[in-house]
Amino acid sequence: MMWRANAPLRTIRQGVAMAMRSAFLLLGCLSPLAAAEGSGTSFPALSLARSDTAPFSLTAGRDPSGRLLLRWTVAPGTYLYRDSLKATVEGRGVTLDLPEGEAKDDANFGIVQVFHADVEARAGNLAASGDLRAGYQGCSEKGICYPPRTDIVDLTSLAVRSAPPGSRPAGDPEAMAQPSSGLAPAGGESGAEALFRDGTGWSMLAFLGFGLLLSLTPCVFPMIPILAGMLTRSGETLTTRRALALNGAYVLAMATAYALVGAVAGWSGANLQAALQTPLALGVTAAIFVALALSMFGLFDLALPTALANRLSGRAAGGSLGGAAVLGFGSALIVGPCVTPPLAGALLYAATTGDAATGAGALFMLGLGMGLPLLLVGLFGPRILPRGGLWLERAKQAFGVVFLAIAVLLAGRLMPPPATLAMLGALLIGSAAFFGGLERLGSASMPVARLVHAGGILAVIYGAALIIGAAAGADDPLRPLAFASTAPVVLTKGEAAVTVASAEDFDRAVASARAAAAGRPILVDFTADWCTVCKSNARVMAAPELGSRLAALGRVTADITKYDDATRDLLQRFQLVGPPALLLLDADGREIPGSRLIGPVTAEEINRRLDAAAI
Amino acid sequence: MQRRHLLMLAGVLAAGTAFATSPLRAEGIDVDAILNDPAAPTAGNPKGDVTVVAYLDYNCPFCKKSAPDLERAAREDGEIRLVYKDWPILTDASVYGARMALAANYQGGYRKVHDALMAIPGRGISQERMMEAIQASGVDVRRLEADLAAHGEEITALLRRNLEQADALGLEGTPTYLIGPFRTSTLDYAGFKEAFAEARRRQAAK
Repeated sequence: MMWRANAPLRTIRQGVAMAMRSAFLLLGCLSPLAAAEGSGTSFPALSLARSDTAPFSLTAGRDPSGRLLLRWTVAPGTYLYRDSLKATVEGRGVTLDLPEGEAKDDANFGIVQVFHADVEARAGNLAASGDLRAGYQGCSEKGICYPPRTDIVDLTSLAVRSAPPGSRPAGDPEAMAQPSSGLAPAGGESGAEALFRDGTGWSMLAFLGFGLLLSLTPCVFPMIPILAGMLTRSGETLTTRRALALNGAYVLAMATAYALVGAVAGWSGANLQAALQTPLALGVTAAIFVALALSMFGLFDLALPTALANRLSGRAAGGSLGGAAVLGFGSALIVGPCVTPPLAGALLYAATTGDAATGAGALFMLGLGMGLPLLLVGLFGPRILPRGGLWLERAKQAFGVVFLAIAVLLAGRLMPPPATLAMLGALLIGSAAFFGGLERLGSASMPVARLVHAGGILAVIYGAALIIGAAAGADDPLRPLAFASTAPVVLTKGEAAVTVASAEDFDRAVASARAAAAGRPILVDFTADWCTVCKSNARVMAAPELGSRLAALGRVTADITKYDDATRDLLQRFQLVGPPALLLLDADGREIPGSRLIGPVTAEEINRRLDAAAI
Repeated sequence: MQRRHLLMLAGVLAAGTAFATSPLRAEGIDVDAILNDPAAPTAGNPKGDVTVVAYLDYNCPFCKKSAPDLERAAREDGEIRLVYKDWPILTDASVYGARMALAANYQGGYRKVHDALMAIPGRGISQERMMEAIQASGVDVRRLEADLAAHGEEITALLRRNLEQADALGLEGTPTYLIGPFRTSTLDYAGFKEAFAEARRRQAAK
């Protein structure tokens, strides 16, 4: 009786599975012998009922720095093997940043690291799209080991789905058909291919491109006199080759300076990322953007003080390569402030990779990109620079608008959402006016002017919608008028949450919440002013149907807005990277296993956790 | 026997008429096939009144923990019939171990290989480590390899049947023991004894 694996049979197999389950169920009913529940039998282990809830489940999210967060929920009484947690993207292993497990030392099993409670793994430097396959396996303390499972995480939507059963590592008929040698083919792959498959190569190219774009901003212009000065000082004898060499040294040194900054950023990793999320840093960065925008609009000129520029160019006397290099290194740091905002973005990227080499590489490419046009200047002289004119003014103004928009978005993390909306609206209307989109058209107007006019009108309408939405308390820039179509959310008046920002305050708050009503679980909510997801989570929790349920709980809010030692300790205690996170404490103040929610939440998820915790 | 078929039929009918008995018969999945697969290695008393079906994996720590207890309890009881269902679900090496043990059955050496593999503590045991244990187990390794070559298809078919049955029963993992009408996982020596007694009590009551 041979079993052949083919597609129609697979369907039959599922049917068979159903039929057999019912058969056994019936067998149990008829011979009153099945699961021994309620019969006064003395073996609890025998009543191990078939649970339809999986012991482990996987969810995916992103931490504040954009790294992928994989989160395994571990049902009470079960555990996952640390070494079984693996991830691959397109067949290539992904390094998972896993916490230390608990050592499980058993005469039978040897020493293994396991997770009895929910566990989070982080993975950086991943492609933004595609599928990640995450494998895991574990057992129950009741003495049963579950088959390994593989889930597929869509890196774009972060949706998790189960891998088809055929991809089980073992237990698959196809796998059984062959002698399992377990030898994987050792594929040869050139370094460059690996680099580009990994996405590193592409991001390096992207940074080169950003650098080129940056060089079109007036930020780089202060460097030109320095460079030109250096070249003229070399005298009449300067050959093109020599000029190129000098310029090359200058540009390489400049790129190296950026690479150093990038390496530091990458090395300092998450700390810098968190530091840049503090209100102070956000405020300062927003202010810098505003200042830059004003400069773009011609309110003031950002240029090196002439004296300093002259000093620098004077230093390069003799036109030695070393002198050029010193000059390049120096001007990168001095011209720095002008390119701060884009640089901050690049540094943020470097920091999220958490890898000094990648950070250095990215920033080096950025510096190189910025320097490439300078090479051309060195080659052909300043005459190839674009002549000033209306278009240059327009380009500068466009940059100004973009900078202002960035400033608003940055500040938006600190301000109530409607205020952000209103400011974006004002910005749109303002720029429509500035770019002449609202000027009167004559019958002789050119098509271009008419297009600009149309764009201006659109900007004004959208801007007006944003402002009206803001006045009504809307906070979604893409749906500013949504308030008109939905019933207003009635906030359920729950008990006011105690807000804490340190481990000590947290303990005090939990103690007093327990004192206020013994036996009541406590909902702990990690949030921060700059955390936009936290705000939408708060809305989910404030919805009436959930609000009433949550009102029965004690509430403690951990406010991580200020990122200091105290809040870091608090995060550390729960092994969290940052907000948003929700978790439930039982009546004794211990975290209820499986109650944790990281990242954006839905009412269903919260309800499920509450159900699971029997609240 | 008649009763079993009746029950199976009832189950099939309950699941809906879409699944006629023929595919079931064709796949060889029914209660009788689970309890009396002629290819599945058995131990204990062939005429015992309680049948224990053990779904096991050679990389399953709890199988290794409970297997000696089960065998001791069955031996002392004397009226237990044991059916081994190799159900290699945990690792690739588990499949290897299961195939080797089943190949040894052709020379009557299933229990030797089974015991040797179950005696390696821990999980994630490699194929090489299993091979060493099999060589030291006392079976005729040359004969084993010959049997593996000659009966490879039969062994694969048996493993597939076990997999089908386990899926059909909705088993969650290893070990799973069917003890008379009960389904359970890891028990200790006393637990198995108690389970046998309870299974007998239930069977007598019907």
